[in-house]
Amino acid sequence: MSAAPAIRVRGLVRDFPKVRALDHLTFDVPAGIVFGFLGPNGAGKTTVIRVLLGLVDPTEGETAVFGLDPRTQGDAVRLQAGALLEHNGVYERLSAQQNLDFFARAWRLPRAARQARVRELLTQFGLWDRRDETVGTWSRGMKQKLAVARAVLHRPPLVFLDEPTAGLDPVASASLRDDLARLAGAEGVTIFLTTHNLSEAERLCGLVGVIRRGRLLDFGTPSDLRSARGAPVVRITGRNLSDTQVAQLRGQPGIDDVALDGRMLVVRLAADGDVAPIVAWLVGEGVAIEEVRRDRATFEDVFLELVAEESPNGAMQGARGAAPQ
Amino acid sequence: MIGDTWIVARKEWLEIFDQLIRFKRGGWSILLIIGFLGVISPLQMGTGWLTSPLMFFYWPLLTTSMTSTLIADAIAGERERHTLETLLSTRLSDTAIILGKILAAVMYGAAFASTNLLIGWSVVNLKYGSGTLLTIPLFRLAALFALIGAGSFFIAGLGVFVSLRAATVRQAQQTFGVIILLLMMTPVLFVQFVAPELQEQLIASASTLGIEVLSLRVSAVVAAVAALLNVSAIRRFKRGRLALD
Repeated sequence: MSAAPAIRVRGLVRDFPKVRALDHLTFDVPAGIVFGFLGPNGAGKTTVIRVLLGLVDPTEGETAVFGLDPRTQGDAVRLQAGALLEHNGVYERLSAQQNLDFFARAWRLPRAARQARVRELLTQFGLWDRRDETVGTWSRGMKQKLAVARAVLHRPPLVFLDEPTAGLDPVASASLRDDLARLAGAEGVTIFLTTHNLSEAERLCGLVGVIRRGRLLDFGTPSDLRSARGAPVVRITGRNLSDTQVAQLRGQPGIDDVALDGRMLVVRLAADGDVAPIVAWLVGEGVAIEEVRRDRATFEDVFLELVAEESPNGAMQGARGAAPQ
Repeated sequence: MIGDTWIVARKEWLEIFDQLIRFKRGGWSILLIIGFLGVISPLQMGTGWLTSPLMFFYWPLLTTSMTSTLIADAIAGERERHTLETLLSTRLSDTAIILGKILAAVMYGAAFASTNLLIGWSVVNLKYGSGTLLTIPLFRLAALFALIGAGSFFIAGLGVFVSLRAATVRQAQQTFGVIILLLMMTPVLFVQFVAPELQEQLIASASTLGIEVLSLRVSAVVAAVAALLNVSAIRRFKRGRLALD
């Protein structure tokens, strides 16, 4: 992790009439990584991006992007950033080439570089053959590709992507993930990504933050979050399983929860839980066990657990991982 | 700043051009207006089309209508189509963005008037020229374009205020329609309600000055008001406020 983070957020608060959109957020995003900002709809993810781009002023707290304050140095921040915001923002009456050409002019790319870059990106995203078509006639996925191309057009060191794979087919999503990983890995671009696609976040992001109702619930690497929160789940398939056994297992040390699903017993273990005594006990009870499978909780399980367990009085205090004090 | 302003204006032109060539959102109506005012009207009026004082009323009115269409589309439309925030996230300054939109709208109005005048002038010459080139006196043309320019500039500034408050293009255009109607009616109502002696005095003064000089004076007043309006509009067009809107 480099000494100076690409993004620094301290005690960020943003109030709107009748609602606190961001509630004392504090985190750092190191340069050159893909950072995933996760949360349910209305959690405050887009507001954070707006504040970091200097489009909205914070009510309290401090933010810095490459050491620049977006509130007072917004122009300098935007010079170093590309963005795909909540809406794809493509000009539907213009062609794909005209769209990118306009933004390339806005970013002051010289003529030759502009033409080459537009061609490079349209080719890379598979849109070159349709470059002269009016974008309004395109599918949502194609518009989304064009919007991502626009965000990286001027090779910014920081890219904000709000739900970039929304509307993309699985092949295009995978291709975009590869592109983003390459941008961060090979070109050192910092990518600030919001997504609802948790498997995408897990595969792509070096760090993730989970936010709900403007509060940071957790922060760290996806594996940190899984290790810390993802209790193992044991699935035991067999004959003679009964509700009586489920009731007896509930409340036993090392077991958080038990449920019977047909011929499968699903046991959520506590952090110190062990599967062997459970199997031995079930055999003693006359259960004919056919299969025992122990799984780690998925990242999605962790996310759902996180957003479900938040108390109405406040977020988890002292978020783990890389969240600075 | 000038370069950025031009970049934005160029984009607005490309967008409206696409609508015109596809005959969408006003494309047909533009053709109809050009057909009526640039072809039918000169055919009916003959050489009087070049000298009629009516030109000082309907050209500014039509041109400002065109300006209002574009400015509403450029601001309220950009917000309605969810492209404004993306534009604001670029390095372009607030001032360059709004000036680009104002410039595009004023130029659109001027281009519309020029095209109509050129077509009308050609029609009059083809039909009634009889081998000689009929022209509009230069002073008259200058006075006409001064009025058209000032009117467009005024409407563009007003359009920023109207469009910033409108959620959709349709809403902006409806508000604009009412405002333009009021602006056109005010002088007429004013003249009707003043004393007959004053009416005669005003008419006599206008006759003495001539339509060209009167037009230049009106243009100067409108341009001054337009300048104030546009400066206020530029001050009002700020990222923080727009993103929250």
